[in-house]
Amino acid sequence: MKRALAKLCCALLATTGARTSFAAMAFPALALAAAVASPAPAAAESQSSAGAATLFADANTAYLSGDLPRAVAAYEGLVSEGVVSPELETNLGAACLRQGKRGLAALHLERALFLDPGDDDARADMLEVRRGNVDRLEGESEEGGTETLSRVLSPLPGGASAALLIIAWTVGWVLLGARMFRPAERSLLFSAILSFAVALLAASLTLASAVGHDLALKRAVVVAASVPAREGPNDRSISHFEVHEGTTVRVEDEEGGFRRVKLANGLAGWVPNTAVELVVPPGWAGRPVLITQGP
Amino acid sequence: MSRRTGKALLVGVFMALQTALPATAAGSDVELTATADRDEVALDGTVTLEVTATYSQKGDAGELQLPPFRDFDVVSRSQSEQVSFAFINGAPSFRRTTVYSIALTPHHAGDAVIEPLRLAWQGRTFATQAIKLRVLPAGQSPAPQAQRQSGPQDPRGQDEQAPETPDLADPFQDLHPGTRDLVLRATVDHDHPYVGQQVTYSLYLLARINVSGIDKLQLPRLDGFWSEEIEAPQQLVGEARVIDGVPYRSFLLRKRALFPLRAGKTSIEPAEVEVLTGFGMLFSRGNARRQSQAVPLDVQPLPPGKPAGFDQGNVGQWELKATADPLQVAVGQPVTFKLVASGRGNVRDLILPRLGAIAGLRAYDATTTDKQAVEQGHVTGTRTVEQLLVPERTGQLELPVLTLELFDPIQRQYRTLRTEALRLEVIPAAPGSGASSATPSQNLLGAGGVRPIRLRFAKTGTTAPPWTRPWFWPLLALGPFGLAMLLVSDKARRMLTSDPSKQRVRGARGAARKRLRFAEALVAGGDADSFYAEIARALTGYLGDKRGVVAAGLTRDELAQALLVRGHAGETVRKLATVLDECDRARFSPGSRETVARQAMLARADKLLEELDRKGPG
Repeated sequence: MKRALAKLCCALLATTGARTSFAAMAFPALALAAAVASPAPAAAESQSSAGAATLFADANTAYLSGDLPRAVAAYEGLVSEGVVSPELETNLGAACLRQGKRGLAALHLERALFLDPGDDDARADMLEVRRGNVDRLEGESEEGGTETLSRVLSPLPGGASAALLIIAWTVGWVLLGARMFRPAERSLLFSAILSFAVALLAASLTLASAVGHDLALKRAVVVAASVPAREGPNDRSISHFEVHEGTTVRVEDEEGGFRRVKLANGLAGWVPNTAVELVVPPGWAGRPVLITQGP
Repeated sequence: MSRRTGKALLVGVFMALQTALPATAAGSDVELTATADRDEVALDGTVTLEVTATYSQKGDAGELQLPPFRDFDVVSRSQSEQVSFAFINGAPSFRRTTVYSIALTPHHAGDAVIEPLRLAWQGRTFATQAIKLRVLPAGQSPAPQAQRQSGPQDPRGQDEQAPETPDLADPFQDLHPGTRDLVLRATVDHDHPYVGQQVTYSLYLLARINVSGIDKLQLPRLDGFWSEEIEAPQQLVGEARVIDGVPYRSFLLRKRALFPLRAGKTSIEPAEVEVLTGFGMLFSRGNARRQSQAVPLDVQPLPPGKPAGFDQGNVGQWELKATADPLQVAVGQPVTFKLVASGRGNVRDLILPRLGAIAGLRAYDATTTDKQAVEQGHVTGTRTVEQLLVPERTGQLELPVLTLELFDPIQRQYRTLRTEALRLEVIPAAPGSGASSATPSQNLLGAGGVRPIRLRFAKTGTTAPPWTRPWFWPLLALGPFGLAMLLVSDKARRMLTSDPSKQRVRGARGAARKRLRFAEALVAGGDADSFYAEIARALTGYLGDKRGVVAAGLTRDELAQALLVRGHAGETVRKLATVLDECDRARFSPGSRETVARQAMLARADKLLEELDRKGPG
């Protein structure tokens, strides 16, 4: 599809004269923007989707019959196969919650909300997890704005607004150029201003979405039952408090197998890497996959 | 236990001799002694002075003369007498003993002296010695060794490790009101409780005058305590008491249960009361204001060895019980789970264990109900946590054992209370019988619980957002960059596609100069014909390029006319014609080939070009 669109653009470019060559500049941008807005599904995915659906149905059957370990194993199998789905994460979170694994339940429900911020089932289950959390934060309002901001910004359509930004921005410049070569056409100037206004709106949305995305990349969940938060990134540092599974934290730094985490009320400390899991795992949303070399 | 006396005063003083002689001297018939029942007394206490006069001869008893008692007030005074006869070695012996008992209350704290007492008998005077006492501030108890009569012993003093029992001793046992007719007395049942243990604070009014009512009662602020009312009498009910031999009536004004919140030494501030004295409204004699003493407390921290999961508020004597009703239930039908803690202590501070998530059971939010009562002066309570459970699958479901860690201040040890595990038998629901069969008028649809799972799923892409891609920013820069390139290229194109005639006009002067420079090279030894031809070409070429006048096909007059029409000055046109004529002539005339003439011609041509060009682009 992208190739066909590019050919069309080249043909249009060849048929236009030198005087209108500026108009042709918009076509590659349109082609790329279209590619951004509508990612093409891979052919391999369609082949494996049938098997994934079968495994998902098996997991659901196990869940409904009360065989939670089997259900969790099947859901995790789908996750390890690279299946990314808010429904899958919601079901896995619910199964973990019923098993009493509050940390993993919170992790998968957070992932479901990252993939689909409007998923009210995941949100309700998340509230259920938090109701039973051991950690009760005092003075949550100190840093609570960050989480609220993240929740508000995450549903913004970042990809669509970025595509709109590119289109409106490029068209605006095209129209401005046309106005310079045809001063008599006043409508060109008005159209250019309108395009730049749309581009400004799209840029605001894209910026907000980028901020929300950045906050989401830092979110993590405590999956260890209980872990001391230390003053430094080593086991000998003093610990002033503990965090328990299910608590959502913000990862601010990493050092020597430890992560510096900050709670919603501003409490901060270093915990081992294994005690917290990132809501956005490597491979998602542009987060690089860490390749570990074998022995 | 030391006994301080007036030195067993057998001192007879013969006033006539103005000399003090001991009463034990030979021939003395009177023995006079004075003793105090203690050598330390609180400011609000009394000391009893006992004076004994023993006579060994018949006759009237002497007259006891009291000193001025500068440091004391006389609260009461009594007298007793005993007479005895005995035959010793056949001779009769007479003995009369008179005992004077005087209750004294001190004026001020510090050192005080009971001055010598004098006895006048048959013209003689006997005196005791002065007795020194130490007066303590009000409310302070004298040291045990300073008291003659040992009071009830403190059980803690006997055995520190013995289980503590509330001190139910008389609240007035260490009170000596002296001459005061109204005393406000604050007491606690024990003065070093544990954090969270009940302390009963009582406020009494002690009166030996008639009390008709209480006008104002200001209780202390009780900071650092959780406080519960035990008794607040609406009517004054007096109880007769005798204190230091004086009849009083005691009125209970308030009784409160206090639960200390922090360990450490603290003090309950004094209470104040305004008392109406007299007989009712008609014979009321006025009112009096009284203040109680501060009550010091030493709140003990809970002992070490707290079990895991112990909460600071769980102090008292509690029992824990869990029930579920019904134990056999159809799937989807509600089961009421109750966890009840009852006993002595501060129920509002009690933290009960919670029922965690149970697979197969949907649990709704628990509700908590507290009931508080007072039994025999102790605050008791019941906390009931009620939770609705709905089984979501059939089979056996177990409600786990719940444990409550608490500290028992009476036993002085931590205890663990456990409920029994409860088994629910969940049976399939009968066809057609929904929840309405059990609760026909209600359908409980509470929020909460885990939502049902999704049966279908859709894959979602997790690609990196566009602004993190490497092409995003170049693509964004493409618009302004393209426009800039377009403007540059347009300018270049214009330059490339410009008119040749205009180019010739712009380059006319340059071409003419070029030809003159070529002619200059021919000045020295070049061909004269070529020199002058080049001069003529430079001028006519200039006119052709610049003015569009082709001189080759024109006569001199036609050329002059064309130039004049184009605005050139007549003098310039004339010079031009002259130069062109001279060039023509020189090319064909051998006499004009000198170098000097060539240089002059070159200069004239150059000057002429300058004049022609000064006209402007025309």
